[in-house]
Amino acid sequence: MDIFASFGHGLLVAMQPENLLYCFIGVFLGTFIGVLPGIGSMAPISMILPLSFYLEPTSALVMIAGVYYGAEYGGSIASILMNIPGTPSSSITCIDGYPMAREGRAGIALFTSAIASFGGGMIGMVVMAVLAPALASLALNFGPAEYFAVILLGLVAASAVSNGSPVKGVAMVVAGLMLGTVGVDITTGAERFTMGIPELRDGVNLVVVAMGLFGVGELIVSIKANASGAHQTDIDYKQFYPSRAEWKSIFNPILRGGAIGSFFGALPGTGQTVASAVAYAVEKKLSRNRGNFGKGAIEGVAVPESANNSATQTAFIPTLTLGVPGSASMALVIGALMIHGITPGPRLLVEHADLFWGLVASFLIGNVMLLVLNIPMIGLWVRLLQIPYKYMYPTIIVLICMGVYSVNNNVFDIWLTLAFGWAGYLMRLFRFEPAPLLIGFVLGPMMEEQLRRAMLLSRGDPTVFLTRPISGVLIVITIGLLAYSCVSALRARRHQRGALRSAE
Amino acid sequence: MKPHALLALAASALFATSAVAEPGKWSDTPVRIVVTFPPGGTSDLVARILAQYLDSEFGQKAVVDNRPGAGGTVAADYVAQQPADGTTLILGNNAPFTIAPTQFESLPYDPVASFTHIANLGASTPGLFVQPSLGITDLDGFIALAKGDGVTYGSSGVGSITHILGQAVDTALQIETIHVPYQGSAPAIQDFRAGVLDAFYDSMAQNSAMIEDGEVVPLAVAAPERSKRFPEIPTFREQGYDVVIENWTGLSGPAGMDPAMVQTIHDSVEQIMAIPAVIEQMDQWGIAHTAMTTEDFSSFVANTITVWRPLIEAANVNGG
Amino acid sequence: MMLPEHPFTKGNAMREFLLRLRRSEDAASPPHAWLGALGGAGLLVLSVVFIIGGIKLGVGVPRRLGTGAFPVITGIALALLSVAIILSDLRDTRDAETPDWISFAAIGASLAIFAVVSDHLGLMPAVFLAVVVASLPDPSLRLSGKLILGAIISLGCWGLFIGLLDLPFQAFKGV
Repeated sequence: MDIFASFGHGLLVAMQPENLLYCFIGVFLGTFIGVLPGIGSMAPISMILPLSFYLEPTSALVMIAGVYYGAEYGGSIASILMNIPGTPSSSITCIDGYPMAREGRAGIALFTSAIASFGGGMIGMVVMAVLAPALASLALNFGPAEYFAVILLGLVAASAVSNGSPVKGVAMVVAGLMLGTVGVDITTGAERFTMGIPELRDGVNLVVVAMGLFGVGELIVSIKANASGAHQTDIDYKQFYPSRAEWKSIFNPILRGGAIGSFFGALPGTGQTVASAVAYAVEKKLSRNRGNFGKGAIEGVAVPESANNSATQTAFIPTLTLGVPGSASMALVIGALMIHGITPGPRLLVEHADLFWGLVASFLIGNVMLLVLNIPMIGLWVRLLQIPYKYMYPTIIVLICMGVYSVNNNVFDIWLTLAFGWAGYLMRLFRFEPAPLLIGFVLGPMMEEQLRRAMLLSRGDPTVFLTRPISGVLIVITIGLLAYSCVSALRARRHQRGALRSAE
Repeated sequence: MKPHALLALAASALFATSAVAEPGKWSDTPVRIVVTFPPGGTSDLVARILAQYLDSEFGQKAVVDNRPGAGGTVAADYVAQQPADGTTLILGNNAPFTIAPTQFESLPYDPVASFTHIANLGASTPGLFVQPSLGITDLDGFIALAKGDGVTYGSSGVGSITHILGQAVDTALQIETIHVPYQGSAPAIQDFRAGVLDAFYDSMAQNSAMIEDGEVVPLAVAAPERSKRFPEIPTFREQGYDVVIENWTGLSGPAGMDPAMVQTIHDSVEQIMAIPAVIEQMDQWGIAHTAMTTEDFSSFVANTITVWRPLIEAANVNGG
Repeated sequence: MMLPEHPFTKGNAMREFLLRLRRSEDAASPPHAWLGALGGAGLLVLSVVFIIGGIKLGVGVPRRLGTGAFPVITGIALALLSVAIILSDLRDTRDAETPDWISFAAIGASLAIFAVVSDHLGLMPAVFLAVVVASLPDPSLRLSGKLILGAIISLGCWGLFIGLLDLPFQAFKGV
C-alpha cells in the first residue's frame, strides 16, 4: 500500500526540526488557552495567523492544527474541574467529568480524558490517512436533504443525553432549536425575535449560551454548596491512574467514540459538538454501566473526549479537500493556506502531497506531545481544586466575562450571558439539563437552513427526504432509535411500577 | 505591473491638501484596522497584509480587529463612534456601506457623513457559473433554461453581493430564477458540486481551479471588461446585458479626521498597493487595485449607494 | 410517610381518608412541585411567544417555507412538551433544592458591573469591581480580603489577556 509510503514520507516532513518546534508551539498554546473558558481555539489561531505568513505552508498548517486539537485537550480540563466547558464541544464531558471531580476522582477523570483524546486523535488520524478521498466524496454526496437527516439523528441522540426525565430532555432540545431562530433569517433576511437590538441580528452566540447555562448557572449553585465546605474533598494525589478494570472499561468506548467522531468531523459544520453528543448517547445505550452515566461514569468521560478529538482531526478533510470550512477556526486554516497561494480543493492531495501527509503525520507527533505535556500537569490541575472556593469563584466569573467578551469584543454579550446564567440557575432548580439545549441550539439553525433549502430545491416535495438514498437510510435509523427509546422507556416505567406494587 | 498606481500616487501627492503630508507613520499608538468579517476570509487577509506592510514600510504598528456581525454594520457602527484620531480604521466594503443603507430600515450611522472615506484598495469581480451537465455555454442558453425547467442558483447569502448580482441578472435578462442563499460561497459551491444547484455566482479568481478543470462553465463576468486572467470569458455587456457589479474594498475612518493625516494614510496605502509582492498577492485573490483620491473615493461610496438601490430593493433582501 | 397517632385516626376508614388527603397535599403543595410546574409554565409562555411571533412573520408555503415556519413548528412541539412537563412535575414529590437568591443576585450584579464598567472605564476597574461584588455573598472572606483578591485578579487578567494574549482590550478608558 502506498499509504504507508506516503505516511512515512509525511513523517519525515513532520520530523523536520522546525516543524517539530512549530507543532510544539501549537499544541502548547492550544492546550493552555483551551483551559480558559470560552476562549476556544479561535483566539490563539488568529493570534498566530500573522506569524504563519512568514513560515513554510506546512509549518504554518502544522502549528495551526496543533492549536486546534490542543484546545480540545485543554477544553476538557475546565469541564471536569469547574463544570465549565472550555470549548463548546467539551460540554458533554461535563456531564460525567464534573461528578467525578466532586467525588475526588478528578485525577482519574483528567487522565482518562487525556488518554481518550489521544486514542480519538489516533483514530481520526488513521481515518484521515486511509479514507480522506473517500470521506471527501461522501461529503460531496451530502446535499441539503442528507444534512437534514443527519442533524435529525443527532438531535434524537442528544435528547437521550439527559439523565433526568426524557420528556424534559426532548423539551430542552426543542427549546434549543427555537432559541436558534433568534436573529436574521438567513433565507429571507428578515429579523426574528431580535426586539430591534442590532447585536441580536446574528443570533445569540454559542459561547454565550454555553458560558451562561453551564458556567454561571453552576457557579450560583456551588457558592452555597461550597461555603459549607463540600467542595474541598480529599484528593489522593497518587491515584491518577485508572485501575485495570477502569482501563478495560474505557477501551471500547474510546474506539466507538473515535469511529463516531471521525464520521461527524468529516461532515463540514456538524463537527465536534455533535460528534461528542451522538457518541455519548450511543454509549449510554450500549454500556453495561449505563445506570451510572451522569453520576461520574468513567466511560462518560472517555467517549465524548475520544469523539471530539477524532472529529477535530477529520474536520481537516472537508477543509483541505473541498475548501469548505466547518467552523470559524477551519476558515482560518483556509486563510493561512490562501496567503501562501494554496487553494484548498480536490487537487490539494496530489499537488501538495507533502503538506497533506506532513499534516497527517504531525497529528501523531502532536498528540504524543499533548499526552506528555498533559499527564504531568494533572497533579497541578487537581491542586487547583484545593484552592478555597471563595478565591476560585470570583476568578471564574471574571474568566467567563473575558471569554465571552473576546468572542465579538462586545459588551452586549455579557448582558446576554447574565440572562442565560440566571436561566441556567432556574433550570437547575426546575431539574432541566443544559446539555441537550446546547446541542439543539448548535444544530437548530443548520437544521432549519437545510430543511428550507431541501424544500426549495425539491420544489415543495417533502418526500425528498425519503427518496434520496442516504437521507432515506438515515431517517429510517432515526425512527428506529426513537422507537427503541420509547419502548425501553415504557418498559422501564412498567418495570418500576411493577416493582413498586410488589413492594407494597 | 501597475504603473498607473504609481502615477496616481505621484498625482495625489501633487494635489495633496497639506504640503507636509507624505506616506509614513501617523500614529504613535498601534492603529486598529477593524474588519467586518471573522478571521480567515479574503477581507481579513487583505487587512493583515496591509498591517504587515504598514509596519515594515513605515514603522506604523497596526493590528487587525475582527468585529463581524449583522452584515458588517456592527463594525461600521463601532468605528463611527471611535475618536477620529487615526487610531481606528475600518476595512470597508459593500455590505455596511452600499447594501445596508437600503437593506435596513434604520442604521445607527450614516454611510457617508459618519465616516472619512480614505482610500480605495480595489475590487474583485464576480461571475456566473453553471453546471457543465446543463450543456449551455452562453447567456441565451441560460435564458432558455430559466424559461423552461427553471434554474436554481446559490449565493453567499441574502443581501450579499452575489445575491444582488443574481437579481441584477434576472432584471437584465428578464427571467426569474430560484435564489438559494448560503452562508458564504464555500457551502454553495459544495452543493453545486453535489449536483443540487444549477448555477452560482462567485468571485472569478476563487474558482480558477474549477474553471481549469472544467467542473464549471463560466457564462459571463460582471466587470466592464474581460479579466486579464481569464480573457476567454466574456462580460455581460458584450452579450448585450448591462450588468456590472464589483465588490470593492477600501479603508475608512470616523468622520472629522485631520486632512493632513488622511493624506498620509492615503499615500501610505497607495504606496503599499504598488509593491510588486502585494500586487501579486491581490491578483491571486482577484482584487484589482484602482487608485482613487480621497475625494473620489468618498463620492464613489456615496454614488454606489444610489446606483445599487433599485437592485437591492428588487432583491427584497429584508424579507418584507 | 408516617402519620402521628391521633385519637381521631383510630378508625380504619378515618385513617385511610387522612392518608389520602396527605398524599394529595404532597402532590399539590410541596415547594418543588410548585417550582417544577413553574418551569414548565415558563417554557409554555416562551413557546406561545414564538408561535405568535412566527405566525406574524409568515409561515409561507411548503416550497418556500416562510421566516416564521420553523419557530411555529418548534413552538408547537415545545408547547405540547411543556404541558406534559407541568403534569408530570406536579406529581414529582422529590425534595427541592432551596433557591439561593442572594448568590443569584450577586453573580448577576457582578456580570452587570463588568459590562457597564469595562465599557466606560476599561478592563482593570471592571475586573476589580466584578470580583468584589461576586464575592459579597461569601461570608468567609472579609472585605479587605475581597479587595485584595480583586486587585490580584485584575493584575493577573491584565498580564494574561493584554500582555500575553494581546486581545483587543483597553485596560483603562476615558480617564
